[in-house]
Amino acid sequence: MEKEIRLQKIGRRKSLRQRAKESKKWQKITTVVYPLIFGAVLVGLWQGQILHRWFHTDTFTLPLLNKIGEIMRDNMDKILENTGATVSVAVIGLVIGSLLGYLVAVLAALFPKIGMGGPAVLGAFASVPVVAIAPVLNNWTKDLSDEASIRSMISKIIVVTLICAADMGLNAYRGLTEIKPFSEDLMAIYAAPKRTTLWKLRLPNSLPYVFTALKVSVPASIMTAIVSEYFAEYITGVGRQIRENIVLAQYATAWAYIATACLIGIAAYVILMAFQSILLRRYS
Amino acid sequence: MIRKLDKITNKKWFSSLLWVLLLVIAWEVGAYVVAGAKRTPENILPHLWQIIGAAATGKKVAGGMTALQAVFDSARATLFRALLGFFFGAVSGFAFALLMKLSGVVEKLLFPYLMLIQLIPVLGIAPIILAITGDINVSRVVIAAILSFYPVATNTLAGFKAVEKEKYDLMHICAAKTRMIYTKVLIPSAIPYFFTGLKIAAPMAVTASILVDTLQGDGGLGCLLSQSLKHAMSIYVFWLIVFFSAFIGIIVSKVIGWIEYSVSPWRRC
Repeated sequence: MEKEIRLQKIGRRKSLRQRAKESKKWQKITTVVYPLIFGAVLVGLWQGQILHRWFHTDTFTLPLLNKIGEIMRDNMDKILENTGATVSVAVIGLVIGSLLGYLVAVLAALFPKIGMGGPAVLGAFASVPVVAIAPVLNNWTKDLSDEASIRSMISKIIVVTLICAADMGLNAYRGLTEIKPFSEDLMAIYAAPKRTTLWKLRLPNSLPYVFTALKVSVPASIMTAIVSEYFAEYITGVGRQIRENIVLAQYATAWAYIATACLIGIAAYVILMAFQSILLRRYS
Repeated sequence: MIRKLDKITNKKWFSSLLWVLLLVIAWEVGAYVVAGAKRTPENILPHLWQIIGAAATGKKVAGGMTALQAVFDSARATLFRALLGFFFGAVSGFAFALLMKLSGVVEKLLFPYLMLIQLIPVLGIAPIILAITGDINVSRVVIAAILSFYPVATNTLAGFKAVEKEKYDLMHICAAKTRMIYTKVLIPSAIPYFFTGLKIAAPMAVTASILVDTLQGDGGLGCLLSQSLKHAMSIYVFWLIVFFSAFIGIIVSKVIGWIEYSVSPWRRC
């Protein structure tokens, strides 16, 4: 006991930096404060037109933030309408694609001999550029409906579906097959039929992998929806509006749509994180 | 005989081959159906041999070049820019990850924004970046760089963070300097993560480069693609580009896999 006290006395007083490093409270504060400072500096640079000087541009191509906000407020109805078009494409494609990808993964896991190559082929789809698929599907869906809005929506949904299916298939297959060896052996010892192994072992094990896939495919679905809008027949959606407005040299309006696209991305990610924290509570 | 067949079906490449065959069969069946029902089947689903035939013929489609020559010529321009952007993005991504690992302040400052970059549809901003930089070539490189920056940075950072505490302890016991810890422990163990990032980034860089091509007519695959779609030249050029870009996307991740294999000898056991 005495020794300890003496040691403390001899020991050098910790520097301010060291103490800050060890204090949990300080750490927590800085995780919030530092990014805020950075954001404030960024906004300041933007509003003060210093960013414009750096990039050698003017307020016409890179409008000030308050101007963008103003335009967003003025065109609320139109922006919401286009947001609806983009989000519905992204969400429908994401749901169908993820289910499809998961189904392929389950089939591949059930029949490993034939199925092993399935996710690999799906993965090949993932590396095919969206720009190559989108125009093809535009041609394919020409006869599906007389309404240009419906058929171009279907073709956009198929593009998103393909991209999401590839992501989900690859990850879910890993989740369904990369299980702890002992648990697989245990199932074999119980003489569990394939179906039970699937329900009790493989599916629960794949759930975290599903979220890994979604973390990639949720932003990817929005990006894909936006890019396939570029090639679509019917002019609608956030991505198409960005392009149309730039063609018309209305950069401020284009920026308003870009801001909308960013907000969609952030909102989708927040929703996904909320779902994950609810559903994966058991795992952590 | 049956045993021999069993041996073949157990091979790893067998199932991949089966799937590819299935896809080819599905394609051809579709092509036959389309050929019967449509006046211009080549716009929707031509037979595979027609596409291969279009690649093989010496017929001039544009500017005195055959279809294959035209595709390769514009592919060179597009892929070079994609590669350049990819290189810048990968290097700066690695540098940022290193910086964030070196200093906690930088990490806290930038990490939320790193997440934000991922959520911003960069391809949606492509036209604006074109307007800012004013030069199509520069904007191509910039967009490819931004797109490849994010996956590389986050994956490398995850790699730095995945180093076990025991390794640090050992290095401290050896009284290693910070530089030593980085060169001997942290960077080697982050290399696989870095390559994972590269594998995600590479197809994105190619996609970005092709997409930016379509924005302004200045050569490149994307430009050729939209011209061919508007029937300014043979539609088979379009199909060639579709297959070519798919092929590039697949081959690029394979090449990165090989590079990873060759720079990390400790994984070869």
